[in-house]
Amino acid sequence: VREAAWLAALGLLPLVGAPILTHPRFRILGAAARGVLSAAAGAAIVSFAMTLFTLARRPWGVLTVAALALVLAAGLRAMLGRSPGPPLAPEDARAERRSRAEVFATFASALGVAAAFFATMSAGATSPDLFFFWGPKAQRFAAARGVDAAYLAEPAHAYMHAYYPPLVGNLGALASMAARGFSWTAATLTFPILLAALAAALPGILRGTAGRRRAATVSALAVAALAAVGVRAGVAGNGDMPLVFFETLAVALLLREDAGDAAIQLLAGLLLAGAAATKVEGLVVAVAAPLLFLTLRPARLRSPSVAASAARLFAPTAATLLAWFAVGAATGLFHEYSEYGAFFALHSEYWRSIAVSMPAALGRAGFGLPYLVPLAGLLISGRPSREQWLPLGAAACLILFLVFAYLHHVIDPSQWIAWSAARVLMPVPALLALALAVGAGPPAAPVPPRAAPSPR
Amino acid sequence: VDFVLLAGAALLAAMALAAAPWTRGFARPRTPFDASSSRFLVPAYELITEAAAVIPPGASFAVRTEPPNPPFQALFQRLGVALLPDRRSRPDPVPGLPVSADWPPEADFLIVVGAAPRDTGGEIVLETARGTVRRRGPR
Repeated sequence: VREAAWLAALGLLPLVGAPILTHPRFRILGAAARGVLSAAAGAAIVSFAMTLFTLARRPWGVLTVAALALVLAAGLRAMLGRSPGPPLAPEDARAERRSRAEVFATFASALGVAAAFFATMSAGATSPDLFFFWGPKAQRFAAARGVDAAYLAEPAHAYMHAYYPPLVGNLGALASMAARGFSWTAATLTFPILLAALAAALPGILRGTAGRRRAATVSALAVAALAAVGVRAGVAGNGDMPLVFFETLAVALLLREDAGDAAIQLLAGLLLAGAAATKVEGLVVAVAAPLLFLTLRPARLRSPSVAASAARLFAPTAATLLAWFAVGAATGLFHEYSEYGAFFALHSEYWRSIAVSMPAALGRAGFGLPYLVPLAGLLISGRPSREQWLPLGAAACLILFLVFAYLHHVIDPSQWIAWSAARVLMPVPALLALALAVGAGPPAAPVPPRAAPSPR
Repeated sequence: VDFVLLAGAALLAAMALAAAPWTRGFARPRTPFDASSSRFLVPAYELITEAAAVIPPGASFAVRTEPPNPPFQALFQRLGVALLPDRRSRPDPVPGLPVSADWPPEADFLIVVGAAPRDTGGEIVLETARGTVRRRGPR
Protein backbone atom coordinates (compact mmCIF):
# COMPACT_ATOMS: atom_id res chain seq x y z
CA VAL A 1 0.00 0.00 0.00
CA ARG A 2 2.81 2.39 0.89
CA GLU A 3 4.50 1.63 -2.44
CA ALA A 4 1.37 2.67 -4.32
CA ALA A 5 0.86 5.76 -2.18
CA TRP A 6 4.50 6.79 -2.64
CA LEU A 7 4.31 6.48 -6.42
CA ALA A 8 0.85 8.06 -6.54
CA ALA A 9 2.24 11.11 -4.73
CA LEU A 10 4.58 11.65 -7.66
CA GLY A 11 1.42 12.10 -9.72
CA LEU A 12 1.56 15.64 -8.39
CA LEU A 13 4.45 16.37 -10.76
CA PRO A 14 2.55 16.31 -14.08
CA LEU A 15 -0.18 18.39 -12.46
CA VAL A 16 2.38 21.06 -11.60
CA GLY A 17 3.84 20.98 -15.11
CA ALA A 18 0.43 21.00 -16.77
CA PRO A 19 -0.03 24.80 -16.85
CA ILE A 20 3.07 25.00 -19.06
CA LEU A 21 2.51 22.00 -21.30
CA THR A 22 -1.16 22.79 -21.94
CA HIS A 23 -0.01 25.90 -23.79
CA PRO A 24 -1.14 25.63 -27.43
CA ARG A 25 2.44 25.85 -28.66
CA PHE A 26 3.12 22.37 -27.31
CA ARG A 27 0.12 20.70 -28.91
CA ILE A 28 2.26 19.50 -31.80
CA LEU A 29 4.19 17.19 -29.47
CA GLY A 30 1.26 14.88 -28.98
CA ALA A 31 -0.52 13.86 -25.80
CA ALA A 32 1.99 11.27 -24.60
CA ALA A 33 4.99 13.57 -24.94
CA ARG A 34 3.13 16.45 -23.34
CA GLY A 35 2.12 14.30 -20.38
CA VAL A 36 5.69 13.12 -19.81
CA LEU A 37 7.14 16.59 -20.31
CA SER A 38 4.59 17.93 -17.81
CA ALA A 39 5.95 15.48 -15.25
CA ALA A 40 9.56 16.39 -16.05
CA ALA A 41 8.91 20.13 -15.89
CA GLY A 42 6.84 19.63 -12.75
CA ALA A 43 9.67 17.69 -11.10
CA ALA A 44 12.15 20.52 -11.76
CA ILE A 45 9.71 23.13 -10.46
CA VAL A 46 8.63 21.20 -7.35
CA SER A 47 12.25 20.54 -6.37
CA PHE A 48 13.05 24.22 -6.86
CA ALA A 49 10.07 25.20 -4.70
CA MET A 50 11.26 22.84 -1.95
CA THR A 51 14.73 24.37 -2.09
CA LEU A 52 13.16 27.83 -1.74
CA PHE A 53 11.23 26.63 1.32
CA THR A 54 14.46 25.39 2.87
CA LEU A 55 16.19 28.67 2.05
CA ALA A 56 13.36 30.59 3.71
CA ARG A 57 13.53 28.22 6.71
CA ARG A 58 9.89 27.25 6.23
CA PRO A 59 8.87 23.61 6.80
CA TRP A 60 7.73 21.57 3.82
CA GLY A 61 4.13 20.56 3.50
CA VAL A 62 2.73 18.67 0.53
CA LEU A 63 0.05 21.27 -0.08
CA THR A 64 2.23 24.33 0.53
CA VAL A 65 4.98 22.99 -1.74
CA ALA A 66 2.41 22.18 -4.42
CA ALA A 67 0.90 25.64 -4.10
CA LEU A 68 4.23 27.43 -4.53
CA ALA A 69 5.18 25.13 -7.41
CA LEU A 70 1.90 25.87 -9.17
CA VAL A 71 2.47 29.62 -8.75
CA LEU A 72 5.94 29.21 -10.31
CA ALA A 73 4.49 27.12 -13.16
CA ALA A 74 1.78 29.71 -13.76
CA GLY A 75 4.49 32.39 -13.93
CA LEU A 76 6.37 30.38 -16.55
CA ARG A 77 3.16 29.85 -18.48
CA ALA A 78 2.59 33.61 -18.46
CA MET A 79 6.07 34.08 -19.94
CA LEU A 80 5.02 32.00 -22.95
CA GLY A 81 2.43 34.59 -23.89
CA ARG A 82 -0.98 34.03 -25.38
CA SER A 83 -0.16 33.74 -29.06
CA PRO A 84 -0.37 30.26 -30.52
CA GLY A 85 3.02 30.87 -32.11
CA PRO A 86 4.41 29.79 -35.46
CA PRO A 87 2.99 26.87 -37.40
CA LEU A 88 2.68 24.47 -34.55
CA ALA A 89 -0.60 22.98 -35.61
CA PRO A 90 -1.39 19.72 -33.86
CA GLU A 91 -0.27 16.68 -35.74
CA ASP A 92 -3.07 14.27 -36.26
CA ALA A 93 -1.34 11.00 -35.50
CA ARG A 94 -4.34 9.04 -36.60
CA ALA A 95 -4.09 10.54 -40.06
CA GLU A 96 -1.13 8.29 -40.89
CA ARG A 97 -1.05 4.56 -40.52
CA ARG A 98 1.86 3.22 -38.52
CA SER A 99 4.52 1.60 -40.62
CA ARG A 100 5.86 -1.84 -39.80
CA ALA A 101 9.11 -0.26 -38.66
CA GLU A 102 7.21 1.88 -36.15
CA VAL A 103 5.31 -1.09 -34.81
CA PHE A 104 8.53 -3.07 -34.46
CA ALA A 105 10.27 -0.13 -32.78
CA THR A 106 7.42 0.20 -30.28
CA PHE A 107 7.71 -3.51 -29.58
CA ALA A 108 11.48 -3.24 -28.98
CA SER A 109 10.94 -0.31 -26.60
CA ALA A 110 8.26 -2.27 -24.76
CA LEU A 111 10.62 -5.24 -24.37
CA GLY A 112 13.30 -2.97 -22.91
CA VAL A 113 10.85 -1.46 -20.45
CA ALA A 114 9.52 -4.92 -19.53
CA ALA A 115 13.07 -6.13 -18.85
CA ALA A 116 13.73 -3.11 -16.63
CA PHE A 117 10.46 -3.62 -14.78
CA PHE A 118 10.99 -7.33 -14.21
CA ALA A 119 14.62 -6.88 -13.18
CA THR A 120 13.63 -4.19 -10.70
CA MET A 121 10.74 -6.16 -9.23
CA SER A 122 13.00 -9.21 -8.91
CA ALA A 123 15.65 -7.23 -7.01
CA GLY A 124 18.02 -7.60 -9.94
CA ALA A 125 18.72 -3.93 -10.67
CA THR A 126 18.74 -2.29 -7.24
CA SER A 127 21.38 0.38 -6.79
CA PRO A 128 23.22 0.17 -3.48
CA ASP A 129 23.51 3.96 -3.60
CA LEU A 130 19.76 4.13 -3.01
CA PHE A 131 20.46 2.74 0.46
CA PHE A 132 23.74 4.54 0.98
CA PHE A 133 22.58 8.08 0.38
CA TRP A 134 19.66 8.83 -1.96
CA GLY A 135 17.11 7.04 0.22
CA PRO A 136 18.41 8.03 3.67
CA LYS A 137 18.47 11.68 2.63
CA ALA A 138 14.89 11.57 1.35
CA GLN A 139 13.79 9.66 4.44
CA ARG A 140 15.44 12.13 6.81
CA PHE A 141 14.35 15.25 4.91
CA ALA A 142 10.75 14.03 4.99
CA ALA A 143 10.94 13.57 8.76
CA ALA A 144 12.59 16.98 9.20
CA ARG A 145 10.23 18.66 6.69
CA GLY A 146 13.24 20.18 4.95
CA VAL A 147 16.92 19.73 4.12
CA ASP A 148 18.28 18.66 7.50
CA ALA A 149 21.60 20.50 7.75
CA ALA A 150 22.45 19.01 11.16
CA TYR A 151 22.00 15.49 9.80
CA LEU A 152 24.21 16.17 6.77
CA ALA A 153 26.83 17.87 8.92
CA GLU A 154 27.27 14.82 11.19
CA PRO A 155 30.69 13.27 10.59
CA ALA A 156 29.02 9.84 10.51
CA HIS A 157 27.09 11.00 7.43
CA ALA A 158 29.99 12.64 5.58
CA TYR A 159 29.74 10.05 2.81
CA MET A 160 26.33 11.44 1.84
CA HIS A 161 27.93 14.45 0.10
CA ALA A 162 25.98 17.35 1.60
CA TYR A 163 26.61 19.50 -1.48
CA TYR A 164 25.03 16.99 -3.85
CA PRO A 165 22.18 18.53 -5.91
CA PRO A 166 18.83 18.15 -4.15
CA LEU A 167 16.19 17.02 -6.66
CA VAL A 168 16.12 13.27 -5.98
CA GLY A 169 16.20 13.80 -2.20
CA ASN A 170 13.55 16.51 -2.38
CA LEU A 171 11.10 14.54 -4.50
CA GLY A 172 11.67 11.38 -2.49
CA ALA A 173 10.92 13.35 0.64
CA LEU A 174 7.75 14.79 -0.86
CA ALA A 175 6.49 11.33 -1.80
CA SER A 176 7.43 10.05 1.66
CA MET A 177 5.55 12.88 3.35
CA ALA A 178 2.46 12.11 1.28
CA ALA A 179 2.76 8.35 1.82
CA ARG A 180 3.73 8.74 5.50
CA GLY A 181 6.96 6.86 5.04
CA PHE A 182 9.72 6.04 2.60
CA SER A 183 9.26 3.11 0.23
CA TRP A 184 12.43 1.44 -1.00
CA THR A 185 10.54 -0.66 -3.51
CA ALA A 186 8.72 2.34 -4.95
CA ALA A 187 11.99 4.23 -5.21
CA THR A 188 13.52 1.41 -7.27
CA LEU A 189 10.48 1.38 -9.55
CA THR A 190 11.31 4.91 -10.71
CA PHE A 191 13.83 3.24 -13.04
CA PRO A 192 11.35 1.33 -15.24
CA ILE A 193 8.72 4.07 -14.89
CA LEU A 194 11.05 6.78 -16.18
CA LEU A 195 12.24 4.44 -18.94
CA ALA A 196 8.62 3.85 -19.97
CA ALA A 197 8.05 7.61 -19.88
CA LEU A 198 10.97 8.14 -22.23
CA ALA A 199 9.64 5.45 -24.56
CA ALA A 200 6.28 7.22 -24.62
CA ALA A 201 7.60 10.74 -25.10
CA LEU A 202 10.58 10.48 -27.43
CA PRO A 203 8.78 9.55 -30.67
CA GLY A 204 6.48 12.56 -30.36
CA ILE A 205 9.34 14.94 -29.63
CA LEU A 206 11.62 13.56 -32.34
CA ARG A 207 8.89 13.86 -34.99
CA GLY A 208 9.92 17.50 -35.01
CA THR A 209 13.43 16.44 -36.05
CA ALA A 210 12.98 13.48 -38.36
CA GLY A 211 10.27 11.50 -40.08
CA ARG A 212 7.95 9.25 -38.11
CA ARG A 213 9.90 6.10 -38.87
CA ARG A 214 13.27 7.47 -37.83
CA ALA A 215 11.75 9.08 -34.73
CA ALA A 216 10.39 5.68 -33.72
CA THR A 217 13.57 3.72 -34.44
CA VAL A 218 15.83 6.23 -32.67
CA SER A 219 13.52 6.22 -29.64
CA ALA A 220 13.58 2.44 -29.54
CA LEU A 221 17.36 2.37 -29.79
CA ALA A 222 17.75 4.87 -26.95
CA VAL A 223 15.27 3.07 -24.69
CA ALA A 224 16.70 -0.38 -25.37
CA ALA A 225 20.27 0.84 -24.75
CA LEU A 226 19.24 2.45 -21.46
CA ALA A 227 17.43 -0.72 -20.42
CA ALA A 228 20.47 -2.86 -21.21
CA VAL A 229 22.85 -0.62 -19.25
CA GLY A 230 20.43 0.13 -16.44
CA VAL A 231 19.68 -3.52 -15.66
CA ARG A 232 23.33 -4.57 -15.80
CA ALA A 233 24.74 -1.58 -13.96
CA GLY A 234 22.00 -1.63 -11.31
CA VAL A 235 20.55 1.87 -11.42
CA ALA A 236 17.13 1.25 -9.88
CA GLY A 237 16.52 3.89 -7.23
CA ASN A 238 19.57 6.09 -7.75
CA GLY A 239 19.93 9.42 -9.55
CA ASP A 240 21.18 8.08 -12.87
CA MET A 241 17.81 7.34 -14.47
CA PRO A 242 16.26 10.71 -13.50
CA LEU A 243 19.38 12.39 -14.88
CA VAL A 244 19.25 10.62 -18.23
CA PHE A 245 15.49 11.26 -18.34
CA PHE A 246 15.95 15.04 -18.08
CA GLU A 247 18.95 15.19 -20.39
CA THR A 248 17.46 13.05 -23.15
CA LEU A 249 14.20 15.01 -23.23
CA ALA A 250 15.97 18.38 -23.18
CA VAL A 251 18.42 17.55 -25.97
CA ALA A 252 15.62 15.98 -28.05
CA LEU A 253 13.70 19.26 -27.77
CA LEU A 254 16.74 21.27 -28.86
CA LEU A 255 17.09 19.08 -31.96
CA ARG A 256 13.61 19.91 -33.22
CA GLU A 257 13.18 22.03 -36.32
CA ASP A 258 11.12 24.46 -34.24
CA ALA A 259 13.73 24.72 -31.48
CA GLY A 260 14.02 28.43 -32.26
CA ASP A 261 10.64 28.87 -30.65
CA ALA A 262 10.78 30.57 -27.28
CA ALA A 263 8.42 28.04 -25.71
CA ILE A 264 10.56 25.06 -26.75
CA GLN A 265 13.68 26.79 -25.46
CA LEU A 266 12.14 27.64 -22.12
CA LEU A 267 10.95 24.06 -21.69
CA ALA A 268 14.39 22.70 -22.62
CA GLY A 269 15.98 25.12 -20.16
CA LEU A 270 13.65 23.91 -17.44
CA LEU A 271 14.54 20.27 -18.10
CA LEU A 272 18.25 21.07 -18.12
CA ALA A 273 17.74 22.71 -14.73
CA GLY A 274 16.21 19.41 -13.64
CA ALA A 275 19.35 17.62 -14.83
CA ALA A 276 21.64 20.05 -12.99
CA ALA A 277 19.55 19.60 -9.84
CA THR A 278 19.77 15.80 -10.05
CA LYS A 279 23.48 15.03 -10.17
CA VAL A 280 26.73 16.99 -10.31
CA GLU A 281 27.50 15.84 -13.83
CA GLY A 282 24.06 17.06 -14.92
CA LEU A 283 25.57 20.54 -14.92
CA VAL A 284 27.94 19.48 -17.71
CA VAL A 285 25.12 18.73 -20.15
CA ALA A 286 23.08 21.67 -18.82
CA VAL A 287 25.90 23.97 -19.91
CA ALA A 288 27.22 22.13 -22.97
CA ALA A 289 23.92 21.46 -24.74
CA PRO A 290 22.69 25.08 -24.78
CA LEU A 291 26.15 26.36 -25.73
CA LEU A 292 26.30 23.91 -28.62
CA PHE A 293 22.75 24.79 -29.60
CA LEU A 294 23.52 28.50 -29.71
CA THR A 295 26.74 27.90 -31.61
CA LEU A 296 25.68 25.22 -34.06
CA ARG A 297 22.11 26.13 -34.79
CA PRO A 298 22.03 29.92 -35.29
CA ALA A 299 19.55 29.49 -38.13
CA ARG A 300 17.07 28.09 -35.61
CA LEU A 301 17.14 31.20 -33.44
CA ARG A 302 13.94 32.81 -34.54
CA SER A 303 13.58 34.64 -31.27
CA PRO A 304 14.66 38.29 -30.96
CA SER A 305 18.29 37.66 -30.04
CA VAL A 306 20.85 35.09 -29.05
CA ALA A 307 20.86 36.67 -25.60
CA ALA A 308 17.13 36.02 -25.19
CA SER A 309 17.61 32.39 -26.23
CA ALA A 310 20.55 32.02 -23.89
CA ALA A 311 18.52 33.45 -21.04
CA ARG A 312 15.71 30.95 -21.60
CA LEU A 313 18.15 28.05 -21.77
CA PHE A 314 20.44 28.97 -18.90
CA ALA A 315 18.30 30.97 -16.46
CA PRO A 316 16.39 27.99 -14.98
CA THR A 317 19.66 26.16 -14.24
CA ALA A 318 21.24 29.31 -12.82
CA ALA A 319 18.23 29.96 -10.56
CA THR A 320 18.12 26.33 -9.40
CA LEU A 321 21.80 26.16 -8.50
CA LEU A 322 21.86 29.65 -6.98
CA ALA A 323 19.07 28.61 -4.64
CA TRP A 324 20.87 25.38 -3.75
CA PHE A 325 24.23 27.06 -3.11
CA ALA A 326 22.43 29.72 -1.08
CA VAL A 327 21.13 26.85 1.10
CA GLY A 328 24.70 25.59 1.39
CA ALA A 329 25.99 29.02 2.39
CA ALA A 330 23.13 29.74 4.79
CA THR A 331 23.61 26.43 6.61
CA GLY A 332 27.40 26.51 6.35
CA LEU A 333 27.29 23.03 4.80
CA PHE A 334 29.04 23.72 1.52
CA HIS A 335 30.20 26.45 -0.83
CA GLU A 336 31.18 24.41 -3.86
CA TYR A 337 30.98 21.02 -5.46
CA SER A 338 33.72 18.92 -3.95
CA GLU A 339 34.30 15.27 -4.54
CA TYR A 340 37.47 13.28 -4.11
CA GLY A 341 40.26 15.83 -4.01
CA ALA A 342 41.21 19.47 -4.32
CA PHE A 343 39.97 21.06 -7.53
CA PHE A 344 42.45 20.71 -10.38
CA ALA A 345 44.82 18.64 -8.24
CA LEU A 346 45.08 16.11 -11.06
CA HIS A 347 46.86 12.82 -10.64
CA SER A 348 48.23 12.38 -14.12
CA GLU A 349 49.96 9.17 -13.06
CA TYR A 350 46.55 7.46 -13.37
CA TRP A 351 46.03 8.25 -17.05
CA ARG A 352 46.91 4.73 -18.11
CA SER A 353 44.73 3.18 -15.43
CA ILE A 354 41.77 5.33 -16.48
CA ALA A 355 42.31 4.60 -20.16
CA VAL A 356 42.20 0.88 -19.44
CA SER A 357 39.53 0.84 -16.75
CA MET A 358 36.87 2.88 -18.52
CA PRO A 359 36.51 0.65 -21.61
CA ALA A 360 36.73 -2.39 -19.34
CA ALA A 361 33.87 -1.06 -17.20
CA LEU A 362 31.74 -0.35 -20.26
CA GLY A 363 32.62 -3.80 -21.56
CA ARG A 364 31.12 -5.39 -18.46
CA ALA A 365 27.79 -3.75 -19.33
CA GLY A 366 26.88 -6.18 -22.10
CA PHE A 367 30.23 -6.17 -23.93
CA GLY A 368 29.86 -2.40 -24.33
CA LEU A 369 27.14 -2.99 -26.94
CA PRO A 370 24.72 -0.39 -25.49
CA TYR A 371 27.38 2.18 -26.33
CA LEU A 372 28.75 0.57 -29.48
CA VAL A 373 25.47 -0.07 -31.30
CA PRO A 374 24.42 3.61 -31.47
CA LEU A 375 28.00 4.46 -32.36
CA ALA A 376 27.91 1.93 -35.20
CA GLY A 377 24.68 3.51 -36.44
CA LEU A 378 26.42 6.87 -36.55
CA LEU A 379 29.40 5.48 -38.41
CA ILE A 380 27.11 3.88 -40.99
CA SER A 381 25.14 7.09 -41.44
CA GLY A 382 28.25 8.94 -42.59
CA ARG A 383 30.12 12.04 -41.51
CA PRO A 384 28.29 13.87 -38.71
CA SER A 385 26.47 16.98 -39.81
CA ARG A 386 26.92 20.28 -37.99
CA GLU A 387 23.66 19.84 -36.10
CA GLN A 388 24.51 16.31 -35.02
CA TRP A 389 27.35 17.78 -33.01
CA LEU A 390 24.85 19.06 -30.48
CA PRO A 391 24.19 15.64 -28.89
CA LEU A 392 27.62 14.32 -29.86
CA GLY A 393 29.35 17.32 -28.30
CA ALA A 394 27.27 17.01 -25.13
CA ALA A 395 28.23 13.33 -24.90
CA ALA A 396 31.90 14.17 -25.46
CA CYS A 397 31.78 16.85 -22.74
CA LEU A 398 30.29 14.34 -20.31
CA ILE A 399 33.01 11.78 -21.03
CA LEU A 400 35.74 14.41 -20.66
CA PHE A 401 34.24 15.62 -17.40
CA LEU A 402 34.23 12.10 -15.97
CA VAL A 403 37.85 11.55 -16.96
CA PHE A 404 38.60 14.90 -15.30
CA ALA A 405 36.77 13.74 -12.15
CA TYR A 406 38.56 10.38 -12.12
CA LEU A 407 41.90 12.16 -12.43
CA HIS A 408 41.20 13.89 -9.12
CA HIS A 409 41.20 10.63 -7.19
CA VAL A 410 44.13 10.49 -4.78
CA ILE A 411 44.50 6.74 -5.23
CA ASP A 412 44.22 4.64 -8.37
CA PRO A 413 40.59 5.18 -9.50
CA SER A 414 40.24 1.85 -11.33
CA GLN A 415 37.96 0.40 -8.65
CA TRP A 416 35.82 3.54 -8.58
CA ILE A 417 35.59 3.39 -12.37
CA ALA A 418 34.65 -0.29 -12.27
CA TRP A 419 31.48 0.37 -10.29
CA SER A 420 30.57 3.79 -11.64
CA ALA A 421 31.55 4.25 -15.30
CA ALA A 422 28.81 2.21 -16.97
CA ARG A 423 26.00 3.96 -15.11
CA VAL A 424 27.36 7.52 -15.08
CA LEU A 425 27.94 7.25 -18.82
CA MET A 426 24.32 6.14 -19.35
CA PRO A 427 23.42 9.43 -21.06
CA VAL A 428 26.01 8.71 -23.76
CA PRO A 429 24.10 5.98 -25.66
CA ALA A 430 20.93 8.07 -25.45
CA LEU A 431 22.73 11.13 -26.84
CA LEU A 432 24.37 9.07 -29.60
CA ALA A 433 20.97 7.70 -30.54
CA LEU A 434 19.47 11.21 -30.63
CA ALA A 435 22.18 12.27 -33.07
CA LEU A 436 20.82 9.65 -35.46
CA ALA A 437 17.52 11.52 -35.65
CA VAL A 438 19.23 14.57 -37.12
CA GLY A 439 19.40 14.86 -40.88
CA ALA A 440 17.24 11.81 -41.46
CA GLY A 441 14.80 13.40 -43.86
CA PRO A 442 12.18 16.00 -43.17
CA PRO A 443 10.26 15.99 -39.93
CA ALA A 444 6.68 14.88 -40.04
CA ALA A 445 4.82 17.76 -41.66
CA PRO A 446 2.27 19.36 -39.39
CA VAL A 447 -1.23 18.68 -40.51
CA PRO A 448 -3.05 21.97 -41.01
CA PRO A 449 -5.89 22.49 -38.59
CA ARG A 450 -9.09 21.04 -39.91
CA ALA A 451 -11.81 23.45 -40.80
CA ALA A 452 -14.68 23.43 -38.38
CA PRO A 453 -17.54 21.31 -39.70
CA SER A 454 -20.08 23.38 -41.48
CA PRO A 455 -23.39 23.71 -39.64
CA ARG A 456 -25.01 23.06 -42.99
CA VAL B 1 20.08 2.94 -41.55
CA ASP B 2 16.64 2.43 -40.07
CA PHE B 3 17.03 -1.31 -40.42
CA VAL B 4 20.35 -1.19 -38.55
CA LEU B 5 18.79 0.91 -35.80
CA LEU B 6 15.87 -1.48 -35.45
CA ALA B 7 18.17 -4.48 -35.38
CA GLY B 8 20.31 -2.72 -32.77
CA ALA B 9 17.28 -1.87 -30.67
CA ALA B 10 16.10 -5.47 -30.85
CA LEU B 11 19.54 -6.76 -29.87
CA LEU B 12 19.82 -4.40 -26.91
CA ALA B 13 16.28 -5.14 -25.74
CA ALA B 14 17.13 -8.85 -25.91
CA MET B 15 20.28 -8.19 -23.88
CA ALA B 16 18.25 -6.34 -21.26
CA LEU B 17 15.83 -9.26 -21.12
CA ALA B 18 18.69 -11.72 -20.82
CA ALA B 19 20.17 -9.74 -17.93
CA ALA B 20 16.92 -9.90 -15.95
CA PRO B 21 16.84 -12.70 -13.35
CA TRP B 22 14.14 -14.81 -14.99
CA THR B 23 15.22 -18.02 -13.29
CA ARG B 24 13.92 -16.61 -10.01
CA GLY B 25 10.40 -16.54 -11.41
CA PHE B 26 7.80 -14.10 -10.17
CA ALA B 27 8.26 -14.74 -6.46
CA ARG B 28 8.67 -11.61 -4.36
CA PRO B 29 12.35 -11.25 -3.41
CA ARG B 30 13.26 -11.31 0.29
CA THR B 31 15.57 -8.31 0.01
CA PRO B 32 16.13 -5.60 -2.63
CA PHE B 33 19.53 -7.12 -3.40
CA ASP B 34 18.63 -10.78 -3.91
CA ALA B 35 19.47 -10.90 -7.62
CA SER B 36 21.56 -7.76 -7.95
CA SER B 37 25.30 -7.35 -8.33
CA SER B 38 25.31 -6.16 -4.69
CA ARG B 39 24.21 -9.51 -3.25
CA PHE B 40 26.95 -9.24 -0.64
CA LEU B 41 24.63 -6.82 1.17
CA VAL B 42 21.90 -9.45 1.69
CA PRO B 43 23.06 -10.84 5.07
CA ALA B 44 23.55 -7.35 6.49
CA TYR B 45 20.22 -6.21 5.10
CA GLU B 46 18.38 -9.10 6.72
CA LEU B 47 20.12 -8.76 10.08
CA ILE B 48 19.74 -4.99 10.28
CA THR B 49 16.08 -5.17 9.26
CA GLU B 50 15.47 -7.56 12.15
CA ALA B 51 17.62 -5.43 14.44
CA ALA B 52 15.11 -2.60 14.01
CA ALA B 53 12.84 -4.50 16.40
CA VAL B 54 15.37 -4.54 19.23
CA ILE B 55 17.22 -1.23 18.81
CA PRO B 56 14.93 1.50 20.09
CA PRO B 57 14.64 4.94 18.47
CA GLY B 58 17.30 7.31 19.71
CA ALA B 59 19.80 4.55 20.51
CA SER B 60 23.19 4.45 18.82
CA PHE B 61 24.65 1.55 16.91
CA ALA B 62 27.77 0.32 15.17
CA VAL B 63 28.04 -2.47 12.64
CA ARG B 64 30.91 -4.96 12.59
CA THR B 65 31.63 -7.97 10.43
CA GLU B 66 32.87 -11.35 11.48
CA PRO B 67 35.42 -12.26 10.27
CA PRO B 68 36.59 -8.63 10.12
CA ASN B 69 36.20 -7.04 6.70
CA PRO B 70 36.73 -3.27 7.01
CA PRO B 71 35.42 -2.25 3.54
CA PHE B 72 32.24 -4.32 3.95
CA GLN B 73 31.86 -3.06 7.50
CA ALA B 74 31.82 0.56 6.29
CA LEU B 75 29.15 -0.27 3.72
CA PHE B 76 27.05 -2.22 6.25
CA GLN B 77 27.20 0.75 8.60
CA ARG B 78 25.72 2.91 5.80
CA LEU B 79 23.05 0.30 5.27
CA GLY B 80 22.28 0.62 8.96
CA VAL B 81 21.77 4.36 8.55
CA ALA B 82 19.18 3.63 5.86
CA LEU B 83 17.34 0.85 7.67
CA LEU B 84 17.50 2.26 11.22
CA PRO B 85 16.47 5.84 10.45
CA ASP B 86 15.62 7.03 13.96
CA ARG B 87 18.81 5.67 15.53
CA ARG B 88 22.24 7.27 15.67
CA SER B 89 25.03 5.83 13.57
CA ARG B 90 28.33 5.54 15.42
CA PRO B 91 30.79 4.04 12.96
CA ASP B 92 34.40 3.37 13.72
CA PRO B 93 36.45 6.57 13.46
CA VAL B 94 38.14 5.76 10.16
CA PRO B 95 35.77 3.78 7.94
CA GLY B 96 37.37 1.02 5.95
CA LEU B 97 40.41 0.63 8.16
CA PRO B 98 40.97 -2.38 10.43
CA VAL B 99 39.35 -1.93 13.82
CA SER B 100 40.07 -3.29 17.24
CA ALA B 101 37.90 -5.94 18.78
CA ASP B 102 36.78 -3.49 21.45
CA TRP B 103 33.26 -2.24 21.71
CA PRO B 104 32.99 0.85 19.44
CA PRO B 105 32.94 4.11 21.36
CA GLU B 106 29.53 5.74 21.87
CA ALA B 107 27.60 2.78 20.48
CA ASP B 108 24.72 1.43 22.58
CA PHE B 109 24.24 -1.54 20.26
CA LEU B 110 26.69 -3.60 18.28
CA ILE B 111 25.42 -5.36 15.16
CA VAL B 112 27.80 -8.14 14.16
CA VAL B 113 27.21 -9.52 10.68
CA GLY B 114 28.67 -13.02 10.56
CA ALA B 115 28.05 -16.48 11.89
CA ALA B 116 30.67 -16.61 14.63
CA PRO B 117 30.74 -13.40 16.63
CA ARG B 118 33.63 -12.73 18.94
CA ASP B 119 32.81 -12.17 22.54
CA THR B 120 32.83 -8.42 22.70
CA GLY B 121 30.80 -8.26 25.86
CA GLY B 122 27.30 -6.92 26.28
CA GLU B 123 24.03 -8.79 26.24
CA ILE B 124 22.87 -10.62 23.12
CA VAL B 125 19.42 -9.27 22.26
CA LEU B 126 19.08 -10.87 18.83
CA GLU B 127 20.74 -13.90 17.31
CA THR B 128 20.02 -15.13 13.80
CA ALA B 129 21.80 -17.12 11.13
CA ARG B 130 23.04 -13.77 9.79
CA GLY B 131 24.69 -12.60 13.02
CA THR B 132 23.96 -11.05 16.38
CA VAL B 133 22.91 -7.81 17.98
CA ARG B 134 24.37 -6.99 21.40
CA ARG B 135 23.39 -4.31 23.86
CA ARG B 136 26.11 -2.64 25.85
CA GLY B 137 26.10 -3.55 29.49
CA PRO B 138 26.51 -1.13 32.37
CA ARG B 139 29.71 0.96 31.90
